[in-house]
Order: sequence, then structure tokens, then C-alpha cells
Amino acid sequence: MGKRPLAVFILFSIVMQANAQLGVMKWVGPNSNKYDLGFGGFIKSGFPVSDGSDVTLELGANIFFMNDGYGTADGTIMCPLKAGYRYTLDGTGTGFYVEPQVGFNLVGVTSLHDANGNQINLNYHGVVFAAGTGFLFTAWNAPFDLNLRYETVIDHGGSNNFISLGISRYISFGKRNTGY
Amino acid sequence: MKSYFVAAVIPILLSSCLKQSIPDAMLASKNSGGQGSPTATLSYKVNGNAVNISVANAESQDTNYYTLGCTKSTGGYSLDGLSSSGEIAFTFYTDSLAIGNYIYTANYGDMYFVSYNAQAEYVHGPTDSMSFNITSYKNGLISGNFSGQLTPLVTASTINNIFGVSGSTLITNGSFQNVPVFY
Repeated sequence: MGKRPLAVFILFSIVMQANAQLGVMKWVGPNSNKYDLGFGGFIKSGFPVSDGSDVTLELGANIFFMNDGYGTADGTIMCPLKAGYRYTLDGTGTGFYVEPQVGFNLVGVTSLHDANGNQINLNYHGVVFAAGTGFLFTAWNAPFDLNLRYETVIDHGGSNNFISLGISRYISFGKRNTGY
Repeated sequence: MKSYFVAAVIPILLSSCLKQSIPDAMLASKNSGGQGSPTATLSYKVNGNAVNISVANAESQDTNYYTLGCTKSTGGYSLDGLSSSGEIAFTFYTDSLAIGNYIYTANYGDMYFVSYNAQAEYVHGPTDSMSFNITSYKNGLISGNFSGQLTPLVTASTINNIFGVSGSTLITNGSFQNVPVFY
């Protein structure tokens, strides 16, 4: 896949330079049997709007490899930029939360081979919706976010859907009494 | 709290209405002849003998080994078409491909353009030329027409090529439609 090295570079740059974290992902719904487990990295920042809520901004890079016999040549890369509203259930800004997100898929590339063995690169963007839940906690004086989310990218009359389990050390631009 | 739950459920409901992944939806569109799935064609006559090239789903061709396409290369864009009788090649010498007329004349030096039944044809003679006219360039696809007057290469040599009768090969009725431009 032509753009895969670039995407991998971006992903690891995000992880290494922004203290962001990796997530493991499972493609669900249409085509789910064609994909192995995926991996992603993301930067996530929060802007406190109340004691228990943040407006969040997240930039991610997700990679899924296909199991069609072409090794790592075939797969899908998506780079969604999302805004969300994270609401902690106890209203303190820590602990369990729910977070709907909406955004835009900046880059979407799926590379695969057709029946004649010709490689096909499909480029798309699409609107992104996500529904997540997670747990905010502090470790070594750093805020962490353990999260599980369902995400869907919709474009060209189809959708790429996946479930992601991840942990991130997120960046907070603001202070509340709890320190988050 | 209720509103957050509703907001979280909406994407699940939305995506469940779609029965295809994005790649499958795009491929289905291409295979059904929908948007972005044109058949590329190129045809011409070599001294009256017709050559026709047609490639379905032309944008899906391997960009390194294609039958009919145009690739950005150093100094220009190279259009290449392969047929059972040979091939045709033309370079648009421009940094940015656009609608217009592109002419290669003998003033620029000898240049290979066509092979027909294993006979290579060059711009060589003083009145030889090859002209491509791009009349449409949309969605990464070019269309237009072309013509030329060429000279057959009789014997290739590392020192001096031996050519046949100057300007004896005429390329007429040249036409191309929906040829993909690969970057």
C-alpha cells in the first residue's frame, strides 16, 4: 500500500511525541471477516467546560491489515479528527464517563487486490461518529483515559465500523479543582 | 444523562443501516459502471490499419503495469497504451497537465512513439511530428485526439540508427477517452 509507510510514520510520531497511546481495534459489521485486529494511535485533548465535563478533540490514525493473502500490502488506513463531549457520571471529572464524538475522516485509504491480482487503492474521507465510555484516572501525577468506543466512518454509501479499546495519556488545556 | 446516551446510540443506528463497508460500496459503484468507473479507450490507424485499446475500470489498473494510462514522470506526463499489435507512447512535456495541444516535432530530435507489428516508428524526418490534443481533463481522466507523421526504424544501432522512408508512416483518426492519469 503506497501510503502505508507515511501513515505508519504519522502514527508512531503521534505516539512518541505526544504521549498519546496505542489502541487495539476490531473491525465489526460489513467486511469484518476480511480484517485482522487493527491498531491505532491518537492524540486527545480536553477543554474543561464544567466540573464534570470536557469538550474533547482527538486526532487518530488507525491501521487495519487484511487477511486476504497479500500480507501487509492490503489494508485500510483512516485518520479521523473528532470533537466530543465527555461527561463523567459522578460529575467530578474523574471516574467513569460517556462520550459521543463527531468528526471528519481526514484520510481514508483501502488497498486491496482484485481478482486479476491488480492492486487497487480506494481513497475516501467521510463523516465520523463515535460513542465511547471510559475511565479517567491519575497515575504518576499524569491523567490517563482508559476507554472503549464504537466508531463508524460513513462515505460513498458504506460504513467502516470498529470497536476500539485503548488507553491514552491525554492533554488537558485548562484546570478544574480535581486536577483534570 | 439521557441526552448523552441518545447521542452515543445515534452512530450505531446510523451505521447499522449501511450494509456495505466503504471499500465494498466503492467497488460496487465501479463495477456497476457508476461514477469513477469509466472504460478507457484509445484508437488510431497506422497507415490505415486500425488499432483499438479498451480497458474497463481503467482507474483500477496497477499503476506500475497498466494497459492504458498516463503517469506523471520527471519532466512531464507519459501516456502509454498497449495493444496486441504493439504500443503507443507520448510524453506531455509539462509540469502541470492541462487541456491543450502538445506537439513533438523533429526539431527536438529523434523520438520513438509507436510500435506496430514489431515495427518501431519515430519522429525523425524533417517534416515528422506527433501531436496530441487534450480536449477534456476531469476527475483525473483525459480525453482528446491525436495524429502524426512518423518514420520507420529499419535497423537499430548504438551508433547510427538506420531509418526507412522519411514520413512514410501516418497516424490518423487518433482518439482517446477517459484515460486515467496516475500520480
